[in-house]
Amino acid sequence: MKKGMSFLLAVLMILSLTGCGGTPANSGGSGGNASAPSAGNTSGAIEAGATVLRTTEDWPTYYDPAVGSSFSCSTAQANIYDPLIFPQTDGSVRPHLATEWTISDDALTYTFTIRDDVKFHSGNLMKASDVAYSMNRMLEIGEGYAYLYTDLIEDCYAEDDTHVVFKLNKPFGPFLYALVRCMIVEQALVEEHYDLSDSAYGDKGDYGKTWLLTNDAGSGAYKTVEFKLDEYLLAERFEDYFLGWEEGAPQYFRISGMTDPVAVRTAMSNRELEITDELQPLENYNTMDAMDGVDLSAVCGGNTFNMMLNTKAEFTDDVHLRKAIAYCFDYEVLRTQIYPGALPSQGPVAIVLPGFDDSIPTYTRDVEKAKEELAQSQYAGQSITLSLSWCAEVPEQEKISLLLQSNLAELGINLEITKKPFGSMITDAQSPETTPQISFVNFNSPYFEAGGMLRTRYHSASCGSWEQMEWLQDEKLDEMIEEALATVDDAERFAKYSEIQWYIYDLCPTIWGFNWLEKRAVQSGYVDWNSLNATQNGTDYFMPMGFAIWCHDIKITQ
Amino acid sequence: MAFKLLKKIGVYIFVLIGLSILVFLIARVIPGDPARQALGPHASEETVQALRERMNLDKPLPLQYVLWLKDAVQLDLGESLLTRRSVVADIRQYLPATLEIVLLSSLCMVAGGILLGVLSAKYTGKWLDGIIRVLSYLGIVSPAFVWGVLFMLLFGYLIPILPTTGRIDQSVAAPAAITGMYTLDFLLAGNVAGWWDAFRHLILPGIALMLGGMAQAARLTRGNMVENSMKDYILAERAYGVPENRILRKYLLKPSLIPTITVMAMDISSIFGNAFLVENLFNYPGLSRYGLSAMLNKDINAISGVVMVLGITFIILNILSDLIVAWLDPRVRLMGGSED
Repeated sequence: MKKGMSFLLAVLMILSLTGCGGTPANSGGSGGNASAPSAGNTSGAIEAGATVLRTTEDWPTYYDPAVGSSFSCSTAQANIYDPLIFPQTDGSVRPHLATEWTISDDALTYTFTIRDDVKFHSGNLMKASDVAYSMNRMLEIGEGYAYLYTDLIEDCYAEDDTHVVFKLNKPFGPFLYALVRCMIVEQALVEEHYDLSDSAYGDKGDYGKTWLLTNDAGSGAYKTVEFKLDEYLLAERFEDYFLGWEEGAPQYFRISGMTDPVAVRTAMSNRELEITDELQPLENYNTMDAMDGVDLSAVCGGNTFNMMLNTKAEFTDDVHLRKAIAYCFDYEVLRTQIYPGALPSQGPVAIVLPGFDDSIPTYTRDVEKAKEELAQSQYAGQSITLSLSWCAEVPEQEKISLLLQSNLAELGINLEITKKPFGSMITDAQSPETTPQISFVNFNSPYFEAGGMLRTRYHSASCGSWEQMEWLQDEKLDEMIEEALATVDDAERFAKYSEIQWYIYDLCPTIWGFNWLEKRAVQSGYVDWNSLNATQNGTDYFMPMGFAIWCHDIKITQ
Repeated sequence: MAFKLLKKIGVYIFVLIGLSILVFLIARVIPGDPARQALGPHASEETVQALRERMNLDKPLPLQYVLWLKDAVQLDLGESLLTRRSVVADIRQYLPATLEIVLLSSLCMVAGGILLGVLSAKYTGKWLDGIIRVLSYLGIVSPAFVWGVLFMLLFGYLIPILPTTGRIDQSVAAPAAITGMYTLDFLLAGNVAGWWDAFRHLILPGIALMLGGMAQAARLTRGNMVENSMKDYILAERAYGVPENRILRKYLLKPSLIPTITVMAMDISSIFGNAFLVENLFNYPGLSRYGLSAMLNKDINAISGVVMVLGITFIILNILSDLIVAWLDPRVRLMGGSED
């Protein structure tokens, strides 16, 4: 009798587990799609049958436009908020909230006309004053993407309800490209939520930062349903979005702070995830690629791998020795075995950025040439030992450092390798004396244009930061960069960028490793996504960080 | 007994102070500037400096500690650089989730461990004893995260019958926060479907966390029972013809549990430790996952807060185990614990 009861209980237990386990693909539960949700979901749950696009990202996410600037922040911002100018898949920009703009003759004043039909999620209409407020708030807080505008914008104000003026303190050609990072918040709503018990920003209290951590004041395609700060952001379609909606756009959008490979793979297999993050190990991408209805999207997002050579340190201060390292390194092994599919670098600018000069050659391994360069250096015949730091947060860099070590051994150069947390590398970068001779750093341009990369990586102003551990401090180069950035005409400016790229190429302050491919596994069986289509069709698809997963343009097809 | 307890509490207070100094120092000597790390590489130096000043990072280390301790005794653990909220608010949010899973694991660990130990002792040398011993070895030698990965692959990937991430399904609305423990809050709200969903989310991480402790408890219980079964008073009971089940339940189990309970208090503490990896694996938003993020992001206030909470929990568990042992063992009660 007792045995019978135990068996019955065990069967019941298994049945109940199984019965509650599976749900159809892409439904509001753990998968499926279909019926529309009721307007204004406030429960924090997704209705059964609603279509949802789920993605994973590295955490934390700060979607306050004046605070966040990481990958997950940028993805959240692009969906919850709107910029004046929007990036396009060919790397250019198009009007978005701004319908048109004028530039003064001295290129110091930009006047934007903004649409008069844009509603915030609160239902209120957007005005030019909201744009000015958003920019001034970002500048005053000084976090996130503020660094793009801090030294540039002298004043920003609304002329009337539909015209906003940006006054620059110097001409800046790529200004429109940089503006894609200025997301607009609703002034009245943010002001309503100032925490005045905090005096960080004087009479503005906390400037609404605490409230905007988990609430939105945007006009974007999706509005926040629930933001669990250390877990996920759930947003629903904003039905009054000014660009309207096409059939098939997901009703919900969810980013989870989950990048553990086993968890991601399991969620993908169970169709509880539509698009993965870009941080998975190669083996995991390959496993997911082999799943039914899952394919890989691999697009170049402008991120590059750099081996920065300290030009103020012994040995690496010699251009011939630097070139010897450049010719000695085995790029082929790097791009085929350590980062399969990565694209070759051609000089200092990422190959997808507007303004990149594709006539710049690629350094390739040529040991004889490396030996010739070494023989020409002032250190020829000496015992050479170089120091190298690689970033502890990127385990694959260890393989690269070992590869370089074995390559340099062929030239008789010793390499001392140190694994360092990125925080320590930032500290080391503060002076030429503490900066190692070689530092591994991944870099993405602050805005999608060559000028962003050249200015941030090679202008003397960035010396002392992790962005330029080369310590070039070349006055001529600084002048060339400043002059190019001050040129408003795109063609003219790009020609100047070209000269700069050649100039830097000849100095060889960096071993330009490769251009990253931003890989993501996608449920291609029911997700129609431009990035995936571009990968499969072999067409170009260039989007600044975060804009690729703009759910407004993604379709759930079943 | 009361005196011994007070003495122990006094010692624990010193332990807590020592722990706070240690954690405070470790959190601050890890390379890297926490303010810079929090605000990102592009934040202006003025903004970073303002944050340093706000967090007292510009002051000498001893003064920083005094200021931190002064606030901590008033239950102000500072602001988390990661969540940009007060650490106390974060702990209040994440602790119930961890307590929920730790309580479930602990209950299963205690019940399962003792039951398996008793069965193993009762059938010493039989096939059941052999199976339990082998399983116990497996449980002890495999870390919790290995079980976690295995369960996730098995029940989430190959035979997907249990949820593998989060606390509840996306289609289920979170209950109104009463205790912060979803299973309890759903029950209090009378929402059985919600309770079942929350409970299902606890199963895999909960089992992964408790296996090691359960195996340990089973082995200890078995060992002690086998050892005690040869003692004179048990032999005397047998000679008087007392039924074997009664001997087992009344005379053998109780004394055999004393060392097990002491070790189990440690095992429950180690569940908190193992939860750091398991919560991360199952994307379970608890205190341990928060602590891990804090460590990876050099969120110094959060690190100190989480470690202090764990330290206090450890102490409470130790006091509880002392009380239980005293209740079980009259010698401890009567002699004021002089046995140790």
